[in-house]
Amino acid sequence: MGLERADDAGVYRISDELALIQTVDFFTPIVDDPYWFGQIAAANALSDVYAMGGVPKTAMNLVAFPIKQMDLDILRQIIQGGIDKIREADAVLVGGHSIEDSELKYGLSVTGFVHPARVLVKKNLRAGDRLILTKPLGTGIINTAIKAAMAPPALIDRVTRLMANLNRGAAEAMAAFAVHACTDVTGFGLLGHLAEMVTGSGCSVRIESRQVPILPETVDFASMGLVPGGAFKNKSFRQAMTIFADGVDAVMQDMLFDPQTSGGLLISIASQHAEALAEALTRRGTPAAAVIGEVLDDPIEKIYVS
Amino acid sequence: MKEIDARGLSCPAPVLHTKATLEQEHPDTIKVLVDNAASQQNVERFLRSQGFEVRLEKEGHDFAVIGKCGSPGAAVEPKAAPVATGANQKIMVMCATDRIGFGDETLGQKLMVNFIRTLKEMGPELWRLVLVNNGVKLAVAGSPVLAELKAYEATGTSVLVCGTCLEHFNLLAQKQVGQTTNMLDIVTAMQLADKVVNL
Repeated sequence: MGLERADDAGVYRISDELALIQTVDFFTPIVDDPYWFGQIAAANALSDVYAMGGVPKTAMNLVAFPIKQMDLDILRQIIQGGIDKIREADAVLVGGHSIEDSELKYGLSVTGFVHPARVLVKKNLRAGDRLILTKPLGTGIINTAIKAAMAPPALIDRVTRLMANLNRGAAEAMAAFAVHACTDVTGFGLLGHLAEMVTGSGCSVRIESRQVPILPETVDFASMGLVPGGAFKNKSFRQAMTIFADGVDAVMQDMLFDPQTSGGLLISIASQHAEALAEALTRRGTPAAAVIGEVLDDPIEKIYVS
Repeated sequence: MKEIDARGLSCPAPVLHTKATLEQEHPDTIKVLVDNAASQQNVERFLRSQGFEVRLEKEGHDFAVIGKCGSPGAAVEPKAAPVATGANQKIMVMCATDRIGFGDETLGQKLMVNFIRTLKEMGPELWRLVLVNNGVKLAVAGSPVLAELKAYEATGTSVLVCGTCLEHFNLLAQKQVGQTTNMLDIVTAMQLADKVVNL
């Protein structure tokens, strides 16, 4: 798959039966607890394989660590979090590489398997499809509130678990269905990643903002101005193709562009299968399983939000 | 007037500086200088959420966000928990029935219709309306309060309908209004609400 069709991960066909999916992702800490940070970074890296319809098989650690300033035990806990998440994905850690750096960073390079005919790409929306989201939005805004020391411990705990939640259940539920397109929602926010799916698809989409699952506290924090700069960047980048109905206020717009850490899968599927997929996702216990919009037969490639 | 220069800072730093200043110095008026639209919007929202009247001034390439306290001299209490938008409190109403009280069924149903209609008097404080057990029948085809429930949704109250209950009564396909919900959502809503009314 060439760069001009950039997708969630690279795909290399080995035979008619097997293709490799390769991906890498790492970032700086987003929670204080090193063990949970390790889990979140690993879940985030593994997610790209799930978004392509694949099964993760092997993983390698990527570590940048300020060895002179920080206790090595912190690194041990981070890596333990990563290992536990890799194990939960039934993949194996086969190695890794670490360097000394002034700023701590951790992530994984992941290799997965997929049948070449079952590769899921972003750019295959079909008119009439329904769009399904498997995790609630709000992690960027709530992480901002955490930085501002305004998030109560129970909320920090909840959002941490949400970010560490593996997209495995969603991917496995999806595998039983003829899904048209899929991606995972991360730094560009819901509408930013949706824009990538829409561009070049020859379709437009309509999102029903009231149906989009959002962590309930997000509204209050966003109304107080605890919106990360990334949300504004995402919004101004996609302004030209996004059309908001009058009832969709600025706070809702920011939430729909809120950058997510280890967000859910965004799935496009024929309307007649959408309800069944949503039920299958719910049975697998995904954090959300919401039908949030539909694909329109409208070649101007816009995102309408009502 | 208290002045803060938050130029060169990116979100959420300008809001955090503003918050710290309000908590430490309780100024009646405050002017926050920012150099990007994102910070301007966030500081503006923050000051409004703390009860300030806000106006904006352009200063060259920068923006000045000027907040004036609604009641002069009043100290702004630091808020640990988020504030509700446009409402003083969040009221959650949970209906586990489609009629009010026992005895006469017809009267009970009439009272419930009247109750749902009159709930709007709570205004924006009516935060969530949760329908469980027999209450889900209020949200399905044939219910006399569908229009009212839709109106609540349109004005920002979330109407949550228990999925397990719909399934139990075999009414999943008949649901006309509201979001299907689960027990975790209901429990979380109870925790977040300022007041829970049970029916």
